Amino acid sequence: MPETGAPSPGRLSSTWVVTARELGSYFDSPIAYVYATAFLVLSCGAFMNSFFLASVADMSAYFESLPFLLILFAPAITMRTWSEERAQQTFELIVTLPLRSAELIVGKYLAALLFYLLILAGSLPLVVMLVWLGDPDLGLIAAGYLGAACLGALLLAGGVFVSSLTRNQVVAFVLGAALACLFVFSGHAAIVEVVDGLTPSWQVGTRLYESVSVLPHYQAFTGGLVGLGHLLYFGLLSGFFLWMNELALRQSRM
Amino acid sequence: MTVIDVNQVTKTYGDLVAVDDVSFAVGRGEVVGFVGPNGAGKSTVLKMLSTFALPTAGTLTVDGLDVVEQALEVRRRIGYLPGDTPLYHEMRVGDFLAFVARARGLRGGDLTAGLDRVVDLCDVGEVTHRRIGQCSTGFRQRLGLAAALVHDPPVLLLDEPTHGFDPLQVMAFRDLLTELKSERAILFSTHIIQDVEAISDRVLIIHQGRLLGDGPVASLATAAGAPGAGLEDTFARLVRTRTQPRGTGGPDA
Repeated sequence: MPETGAPSPGRLSSTWVVTARELGSYFDSPIAYVYATAFLVLSCGAFMNSFFLASVADMSAYFESLPFLLILFAPAITMRTWSEERAQQTFELIVTLPLRSAELIVGKYLAALLFYLLILAGSLPLVVMLVWLGDPDLGLIAAGYLGAACLGALLLAGGVFVSSLTRNQVVAFVLGAALACLFVFSGHAAIVEVVDGLTPSWQVGTRLYESVSVLPHYQAFTGGLVGLGHLLYFGLLSGFFLWMNELALRQSRM
Repeated sequence: MTVIDVNQVTKTYGDLVAVDDVSFAVGRGEVVGFVGPNGAGKSTVLKMLSTFALPTAGTLTVDGLDVVEQALEVRRRIGYLPGDTPLYHEMRVGDFLAFVARARGLRGGDLTAGLDRVVDLCDVGEVTHRRIGQCSTGFRQRLGLAAALVHDPPVLLLDEPTHGFDPLQVMAFRDLLTELKSERAILFSTHIIQDVEAISDRVLIIHQGRLLGDGPVASLATAAGAPGAGLEDTFARLVRTRTQPRGTGGPDA
């Protein structure tokens, strides 16, 4: 006779069940392959152009272009995370499974992060090429990749959160891109100057640069400086967005 | 023994009263049919029992567990088929069932046994490699049912379970519920009167969010002043005699 239905699995195990399904769903759709190809062509293309012009065996051109590419690519990865569940009405199915909301959120987030890291790993042949052609600073390159992973982790967490606010994927994409714009462009010198010029007494541009912008932290990594403060910035902000996602899910049960 | 207990439950969406002071209980070994027109509040009650929606007032318990305070434990005990059978259309049939079984905590031999059991029980074995979106409506309904049963739950909540079934599939479904009912409490909603008469031990009649009747069809007919009448006539009489005009009904109740 059935008593409790099923045993209670561990949290990690349940999270991984969600991650595996989500990751599989990326590859079930041809859009994933289009994203991956477009991302690799644009990011590696920017690098090759600069590599042949400057003839320097490093990855700085690749890492410099990455934040700007991710303004569009991070929300493209995350836009369907929750909005598609709502649009297809599978939201009711998944939230009535015996999974904690944290397991659902982290599971979906990890899938987006793993998908991004897989695409990022597609640029590793560039490193092999640099080693073959010259004598690059591999420590600097490793720090750059760590920064790229942290940058992606933050923008994806923001994208997963905004996807929980709407059932429309396009709206989720636009909101995610707007959020990514805030994080990236608030660190751009020209933008900071313009915003400071518009608000001379408040210096809003400088304040945003110092408090919100992702670029100073990311550029520390690409410059070879892996500091605890920078890691905390990415970790805490990513955690903040996942927590906001938890609040949004809780609200949806009302 | 009472397994599902709904006590003075009200659910409102803004000014709309979707469920209005509803109380009933379902015991183990019972199949209870929830009948009423579209928008009557059937699905809203099932959504609250499944932990998907919160009640505005009142309490709901499953196996003695409060659906608000002990939602995770309640979810382990229920098999829930939501209305319109939401499924991941891009997934393959076998992958979907395995995902639901794993999410419900089944691993190793239990997982294999659970999958084998529901594939056989719900007759979804012939196209496990096909994508769900390419399957017929009736097949998708059976798949949703298989997903609700994969962990062998003691409580089944089924929202319009025969939607999209052909007559043969309806008969097979009736047989399935008869087979399952001895060990479970089963509550299903429908607006197809024949389903309720054929399957249910007891009927709940709901209209405009209010419970108008609770009992076997014969008792309800007597209470409605038409002894020996069928459920359709009984339902019509109860609606006429026990409701007042008012604006109720949830957004997708």
